Amino acid sequence: MKIGIPRALLYYYYIPLWRTFFEALGLELVISRPTTKTILESGLRHTGDDVCLPVRVAFGHIIDLKDRVDVLFLPRLVSIARREYICPKFLGFPDMVRQGISGLPPLIEADLNLYRRDSLYPFFSALGRNFTSNRFAIYLACRRAQQVQARYIQLLENGFFPEEARAALSGGTGEEQREPARGWPRVAVIGHPYNIYDPYISMNLLSRLARSGVHVCTADNLPETLVREHAARLPKHLFWSLGQRMIGAAWHYLQRPDVDGIIHVASFACGPDSLTGELISREVKRRGKPFLNLTLDEHSAEAGVVTRLEAFLDMMRRRPLLQVGGNGR
Amino acid sequence: MKGYLGIDVGSVSTNLVFLDEEGRVREAIYLRTRGQPINALQEGLRQLAGRLPENTGILGVGATGSGRFLAGIIAGADVVKNEITSHAVAASTLVPGVQTILEIGGQDSKIIILRNGVVTDFAMNTVCAAGTGSFLDQQAARLNIPIEEFGQLALQSTAPVRIAGRCAVFAESDMIHKQQMGYSLPDILAGLCEALVRNYLNNVGKGKEILPPVVFQGGVAANAGMRRAFEQALGWKVYVPPHYDVMGAVGAALLAREKMAGGGSTRFRGFGVADTNFKAGGFTCENCPNLCEVVEITCEGEAVARWGDRCGRWSGSLGYQDEEIRNAV
Repeated sequence: MKIGIPRALLYYYYIPLWRTFFEALGLELVISRPTTKTILESGLRHTGDDVCLPVRVAFGHIIDLKDRVDVLFLPRLVSIARREYICPKFLGFPDMVRQGISGLPPLIEADLNLYRRDSLYPFFSALGRNFTSNRFAIYLACRRAQQVQARYIQLLENGFFPEEARAALSGGTGEEQREPARGWPRVAVIGHPYNIYDPYISMNLLSRLARSGVHVCTADNLPETLVREHAARLPKHLFWSLGQRMIGAAWHYLQRPDVDGIIHVASFACGPDSLTGELISREVKRRGKPFLNLTLDEHSAEAGVVTRLEAFLDMMRRRPLLQVGGNGR
Repeated sequence: MKGYLGIDVGSVSTNLVFLDEEGRVREAIYLRTRGQPINALQEGLRQLAGRLPENTGILGVGATGSGRFLAGIIAGADVVKNEITSHAVAASTLVPGVQTILEIGGQDSKIIILRNGVVTDFAMNTVCAAGTGSFLDQQAARLNIPIEEFGQLALQSTAPVRIAGRCAVFAESDMIHKQQMGYSLPDILAGLCEALVRNYLNNVGKGKEILPPVVFQGGVAANAGMRRAFEQALGWKVYVPPHYDVMGAVGAALLAREKMAGGGSTRFRGFGVADTNFKAGGFTCENCPNLCEVVEITCEGEAVARWGDRCGRWSGSLGYQDEEIRNAV
């Protein structure tokens, strides 16, 4: 049986978990193709105009999948950490899809809600019963999935980007240590994984930076405990998990002397982003680090992004040139 | 005489300057791009060649503006730089100690914050072009006054009317309404300037620490009404430098001088390119669903540059590839 998973939203966080679980139960995974103009446009056609860009893209990925899989995996993500929620659009996503797209294959749904109880087992148990009545097989698949996910997280914390970490997992070469990244300046890119790791949506942001010699780090390269420690400096607990992650990471990188600048990537029409962006920029002002806020939407022209990035890098690169040389021009 | 050539190909104007070896502006040319950047650039080179003495030596060429890659290929630039860095370099060289640069051009506006001669923050207008030169041009045409007289008329106002400047479309309907009500033209024009300044400060200048000396440059700085509105809103004297309308080109020339100080010879193709047959064409690559819009520049029928593809199939296919463009982020 072929199960389809859209290459969108929390795919970038959870794919090793989903993949291991379903494959252990004997299912064949089909991941939608990387985002292209065609995928984005089909997503735009099927969503209303008040929907944020990441959800529109996710719609495109479901359309890309729907005719070539037997079932479609669409979990209802309510909460991914205790006492926290994630964006309501994730919560309503399966319903939005059912409303907006016709001719869907059967949907495999289950609620992922860790608000009260930090255990993935009830979720996987409900999922697994769609495919087998063997509870022990489900238990084993769940355990194996969590082991692989833990390794994935470890790889990310060792400085891998998701794509590299997935390659290391599937290669099984045991390359736990990444070659230490070099480059200058060192820039922290803070944004939702589905924005910054999708090369089409981010207009190749990460590879552009890498190509011009920048040493890039992201929120996912930091251990969860460290991120939460910094986010805890907020006067009130932030109940959005993703916002918590971005703020904690930004605040951490802001106080690191070896990080030269911060880029905040937001998507237009994202409510939580507008808030986290503001909180980050206030802290930036106190610390005085170079900061760039990039807002992405489906109309974004590459030229505007390139100009801003170039100017941002110049801002860091020309600094020592002027201060040391004094007469650089 | 020897010196440096700076070229700024923008959406509305194409500017060229010639700097002598000491960095003084010797010639400046301001032309309308009229949607034909190649023609405008060739016309500019032709005019410049006519004004410069026969034996003038070009030591280096810098290109900037939204058409900088195009200009870089056609003229043969040693430096291709974004507008923000170019404007900052020009202003901090011509106005030592400048801390804030307000720049309003044809279709974009930016703010650049400098401290101790170093850019510390900047912003460009995002989704809205209200208040840029094109809008002022359009309103001047609608009111049947030459754009050159707009500023002087606005200065005659004694009681500016309040106009909604949030959006160009609403500003226009508000202006028409005020005209129907019988307000005087100078009061409406001054009101429009105030509205645009308000919009600029709330939008582009949001959260920026604007400190004197403040420099106002770009084509719109010619408008004395806008300058006065800025002075009233900020409470500081706003300085409009000589050559305010070609500052981008001045910055590009200064950057070329900086680059050539490191040795090497210029890649300038010579003033003869004004009469060479350059053509810009484009096609949609259909090799993958990204459907990239590829730009191809031909010189006498031979492709000299291509860009716009995400994968490098076209831009990498030419034996010769411009180093400055390849190095851009």
